Amino acid sequence: MAVRILLVDDHPIVRQGLRTLLQGRGDWEVVGEASDGVEAVEKVDHLRPDVVVLDVTMPRMNGLEACRLIQQKRKDSGPEVLFVTQHDSPQMMREALDAGARGYVVKSNAARDLLEAVESVSQHKVFTALARTPQSSS
Amino acid sequence: MKLRILLADDHEIVRRGLCALLQKHEGWEICGEASDGREAVEMAKRLKPDVVIVDIGMPSLNGLDATRQLMQHDAHFKVIVLTITDSDQVIREALDAGARGFVLKSDAARDLVSAVEALQSKRMFFTPRVNDLVLAGFLDKGHTISRNEPPSLPTLTVREREITQLLAEGKSSKEVATLLNLSTKTVETHRSNIMRKLSLHSIRDLVVYAIKNNIIQIQMPVQIPAAAEPTVA
Repeated sequence: MAVRILLVDDHPIVRQGLRTLLQGRGDWEVVGEASDGVEAVEKVDHLRPDVVVLDVTMPRMNGLEACRLIQQKRKDSGPEVLFVTQHDSPQMMREALDAGARGYVVKSNAARDLLEAVESVSQHKVFTALARTPQSSS
Repeated sequence: MKLRILLADDHEIVRRGLCALLQKHEGWEICGEASDGREAVEMAKRLKPDVVIVDIGMPSLNGLDATRQLMQHDAHFKVIVLTITDSDQVIREALDAGARGFVLKSDAARDLVSAVEALQSKRMFFTPRVNDLVLAGFLDKGHTISRNEPPSLPTLTVREREITQLLAEGKSSKEVATLLNLSTKTVETHRSNIMRKLSLHSIRDLVVYAIKNNIIQIQMPVQIPAAAEPTVA
């Protein structure tokens, strides 16, 4: 299934790294990039991605707030949100899921977990992975 | 002949981004990737790259101390440090360690190619803020950047800094000894010397010292906003 992906991180080099990892799946398309939460919310409206890969700590608007806005604005047909963050913490993961995210991956393990996580959340399944234990469930 | 570059960052995702950026440049190749400072030093000694790019915040051995060890081994190494902050202290430590390039991670996509090109041409590359501070130091207008100044960690040897990081990361003396191929007794002697030199009394003090002096980095908590009404229609 073709999956349209929006990448959101304030560091261009991280977005480039994410893009490189996602190139492993020829049927997925990175439709855009954003460097903060405000831009992410705007681009969700314009680009209609299936999955938003979202950082937590960003200028102007952090990822949690952006996630809430994305979910509140487009409750029924909105994209799934997958956090890719440096915060390897159960508390932060809980905050992310409470904000409406479907997935949570730690940046240090993104190379291991990202493709599986995008696959899962694009099928509306929960995927969470702290540093050691990835878990996927519907 | 291609310019050979060694990358060191603990996040593979960043290394992927850096590789993608640098490999676009004709005549450059990534000869190796390291995921911490210790591995970077070992690989640099073995591979003898033309340029080494090191992140500052890495486990086991941070990028500044990796740079110090490389320069101690061979002063001809050309090192660019990647950093998330260009505070005065970090700038001073990077210069003191012997880095010839200093690039903010947030600006790496824009500046890193220029930095490598500068080193390739036997020049240095610094952010405008570093240049301003260095210039101000020369002009003696209150800033205190100078290679001749005592570094912020004047009393610790390279080995002691290395052990400080490992202890602050929570490793026991025995684990440090295994990692550095030393006896536990030698590590405990170093540990006593470190505590005495720095006038520290506990491991907690050591951790605080290591954080304050950029020997280890910690994640800053994100400010979590209360669930509020959306501000965008």
